[in-house]
Amino acid sequence: MQNKLMMKLVVGSEAIFFIALIISYLFFWRTGHFQREVAEHLNIKLTGIFTLFLLSSSFTFWMAERSYKNQKDRSMKIWLLTTIVLGLVFLAGQGHEYYTLLQENLTISKSEFGSSFYTLTGFHGLHVFIGLIILTILLILAMRGIFRRNTSTVISTIGIYWHFVDAVWVVVFTVIYILPYIL
Amino acid sequence: MNWLLFAKLKNISPNIPYQNILHSSSRQAEEINHIELYFCIAAGTMLLLVVGITIYILLRFRESKAGDKRIIPGKIWELPMLIIPTVLVAVFFYFSITTMAHINPDADSRTPDVVITAHQWWWQATYPGSIEAANEIHLPAGKPLLLKLVTADVVHDWWVPQFGNKMDIIPLQDNYLWLTIKEPGEYYGTCSEFCGLQHANMRIKVIAETQAGFDTWLHKNGQAAPPNKNKTIGEELFMAKTCGDCHRINGTAAKGTTGPDLTHIGSRATLLAGMSINDKDNLKRWLKSPQHVKPGAYMPDFLLSDSSINDLADYLQSLK
Amino acid sequence: MIEQSENNATVQDPYQPWSGRILQCLSSVDHKEIGIMYLIMALLFFAVGGTEALLMRTQLAIADNHFLGPEAYNQIFTMHGVTMIFFVAMPALFGLMVYIIPLMIGANDMAFPRLNAFSFWITFFGGQLLYFSFAAGGAPNAGWFNYAPLNETFYSHSNGINYYCMGLLLAGIGSVTTAVNIVVTILTMRVEGMTLRRLPLFVWMSLVNSFLVLAALPSLNAALSMLLLDRLLDAHFFRTAAGGSALLWQHLFWVFGHPEVYIVILPAFGIYSEVFQVFSQKKIFGYAFIAASTVAIALLAFGVWVHHMFAVGLGNTITGFFAASSMLIGIPTGVKIFSWLATMYGGRIKLTVSMLFAVAFLIEFTIGGLSGIAFSIVPIDLQLTDTYFVVAHMHYVFVGGTVFGIFAALFYWFPKMSGRMLDETLGKWFFWLFVIGFNLTFFLQHFLGLMGMARRVYTYPEIPYYTILNMLSSAGAYIMGIATLLLLYNVYRSLKKGKIAGNDPWNAFTLEWYTASPPNEKNFDDVPLVSSRRALWDFKNPDNRDED
Repeated sequence: MQNKLMMKLVVGSEAIFFIALIISYLFFWRTGHFQREVAEHLNIKLTGIFTLFLLSSSFTFWMAERSYKNQKDRSMKIWLLTTIVLGLVFLAGQGHEYYTLLQENLTISKSEFGSSFYTLTGFHGLHVFIGLIILTILLILAMRGIFRRNTSTVISTIGIYWHFVDAVWVVVFTVIYILPYIL
Repeated sequence: MNWLLFAKLKNISPNIPYQNILHSSSRQAEEINHIELYFCIAAGTMLLLVVGITIYILLRFRESKAGDKRIIPGKIWELPMLIIPTVLVAVFFYFSITTMAHINPDADSRTPDVVITAHQWWWQATYPGSIEAANEIHLPAGKPLLLKLVTADVVHDWWVPQFGNKMDIIPLQDNYLWLTIKEPGEYYGTCSEFCGLQHANMRIKVIAETQAGFDTWLHKNGQAAPPNKNKTIGEELFMAKTCGDCHRINGTAAKGTTGPDLTHIGSRATLLAGMSINDKDNLKRWLKSPQHVKPGAYMPDFLLSDSSINDLADYLQSLK
Repeated sequence: MIEQSENNATVQDPYQPWSGRILQCLSSVDHKEIGIMYLIMALLFFAVGGTEALLMRTQLAIADNHFLGPEAYNQIFTMHGVTMIFFVAMPALFGLMVYIIPLMIGANDMAFPRLNAFSFWITFFGGQLLYFSFAAGGAPNAGWFNYAPLNETFYSHSNGINYYCMGLLLAGIGSVTTAVNIVVTILTMRVEGMTLRRLPLFVWMSLVNSFLVLAALPSLNAALSMLLLDRLLDAHFFRTAAGGSALLWQHLFWVFGHPEVYIVILPAFGIYSEVFQVFSQKKIFGYAFIAASTVAIALLAFGVWVHHMFAVGLGNTITGFFAASSMLIGIPTGVKIFSWLATMYGGRIKLTVSMLFAVAFLIEFTIGGLSGIAFSIVPIDLQLTDTYFVVAHMHYVFVGGTVFGIFAALFYWFPKMSGRMLDETLGKWFFWLFVIGFNLTFFLQHFLGLMGMARRVYTYPEIPYYTILNMLSSAGAYIMGIATLLLLYNVYRSLKKGKIAGNDPWNAFTLEWYTASPPNEKNFDDVPLVSSRRALWDFKNPDNRDED
């Protein structure tokens, strides 16, 4: 109970951090010609596909939690591993996107768009990366048999963090990729 | 890195008179003084109330005097605790809004009377017709003026205490200040937003004149320096030592805009944004070693010989 | 009923929970030891920040002084501000909170002891990193609020501002994790019977304060990260020459900066609430009012930040909105001042040093609060912002509010933490010297502001009265310095041979006074029944229990 409260507070604080970054992104919308830049540089379809990978990792983690509650240890480990793989695929997709943008000479120092885009997606990617490390530790502990009995709050606590990371991506994806087409 | 810079040469500062924000020299300051007065009365009363009650309580309920029974004030007292501050807040909010509307209305599309450009650490003034001045800003008294404030580098702030409100100067933003100076005279102020090494020495001097006086000054200031058939050594040096790359002297080949316009430097009373009195000695000190006089200023040390300095100073003093 | 167990031994020796055992110090996860480490860290940085202040005041004692040049002065005034806020006020308050809160709620430690230790060490390391800048090319020199674009590499070449960013990011992590720890502790570890409506006000204020920390620090973290990216990777956030925005920095900073000042004052309000009660021998007046006004302040704190930007030219509409909110936030604070007075009224006042600081606070903070209200009146702000009037205002609230609160807490809780009383006579000398010095320094600065002296200036010309006022102001600073030395001597001497305190030297009301002084490693073996806001009072006066 304490663990989950702690994580909710941490997540709340991080949410405000991302709100600050998103507001800073939007601050430069007009003067940085973001609408044009997004249309020129970003591939909404490809990133959308990788987004689906990340979002399904939330589902798989939820399944892992369910397995844990039902004391299905092997099932939990498989769902956990799937979550990690899906998260890695997402990060790989991000990496690929960064690579193509750098090939097009869009760097963090090129323009306001470059600065804001890399910062916002970069901090999100960092949170995903940290999440993956935590999930891996969780998997290793699970493989050592720590979670045989379903009395620990650790898994649901980490779940809060992982779902948060996904939720942030939904917002970030909407702001960066979808907003230019709506406005 | 020079840690403790001991400026060995003491600058002879100009005489700046007594300053007091309550001595309004502009219509704006006058209005602000009203609300300041009301506030003083309200705040003073509040303070006396708190101090008075505290002293009373300390005396009446000190250990030796307090009885055995404790007295608990009624909950009803929460009401005035809440209501009195709220009423005061409402009253002063109303005064704030009305005063703000009077002293700082929108600039609309009126042409500014002067564009003040702030630099690290000097002031540039550009009048309609592209007439340039530096550091000592002349303005006509007795009529509403619109000042446009821009910066060439970091955030600065333009403030003359007796003129009332200040205005920050923000990069990529045009800020405006309305000013109606009551009487002709000399008014002193200072940059009021920390802007780096010499923020302390970015002083403001406004010379307010009658409309006629101002017009005369403006006309004269717009004139180029009279051409010399026989250039003085100083003038030759000015060009040869690349001074003209940073400093403009209207009517010569010197067209730089990085540093202050020097066309009429001889007629200014102060140097270095109000730091020193404008006389030959101070000018020579500056030319000898700028970094000792105003450390951090962007003027490099040109390692000039003493005779060159003397000639240059003579030339600059002649630019009236 | 309650057994006096053998654990509640009287203290014969000075409190040295980890006497000489460095490893214990480095590895401790006990909230009491960590609390004391926070306080020692705050003390060390107070000495440094105070020295910086004395250097500044020495330079400003006369016009056109050449004691410090602009390069040195600008670094020193920047570091003074950063140090006092992030490495003195916050650690001292966090230290008091992590020490006292578990004791006040009948718990044996914080919810996450290892996180507690981590928070301390990362904060400490952040301070070290910040000060390393002096050795690495120069300390940050653009002021504690570090405006853009002055904070960019082009205008501030040395690495100082990079250290500023990194040091504060680390300290910020420490603050957030402590806040998380405090919230979870208070919400989940209260002894039975202590409902949220029965929390001691110090605990309540700490709870609300922690939410403030959680919500405010992220804005600073965002600004600092973006500035680092600008400085290290040439990003375009605040580089106006490349299209960046100076205003974005100001907004992000002050969205943090304004709640920050409430972060350093709310725990002090909590301390005063306890001190006023105990030394008036009377329960607090208007508990609900004070608790509710605290929440009001916390919420409003996020709606006023633009009042630091009234002179920026945002337009009368935006300015007017924030003027309204800024004026409103003065009301809950006014309510508190009157509630504390009403607590003292009808009480039996014992003027211990702790109480002296609390009473002085009432007056000093009223002065500081009123000058703050002056600034919420936009036309007055437009004339007086960025002058010494602001310097006077902020020091009246920071020193008269936060620092006096820390002093009051020190004299109040030192017996609990060490088992010995601080010397009251030395304490009174300290009090009067400090208060005189403080008022001498800062009251005169109101007038300097009214006479047009700008802040953050390394020198000033000979304008009438500037020199005499500055000189007297500097004298006051030296008096405060001497007073501080007296305090240090008092602490040192009292640790060695102060009067033994016993469990409850002040005849107080809250649970920390139930256990030994200093508490054993396990705070409580048992706890009195909690059925009101003053559980210990009920325990000592069973015939005169509180109703709620």
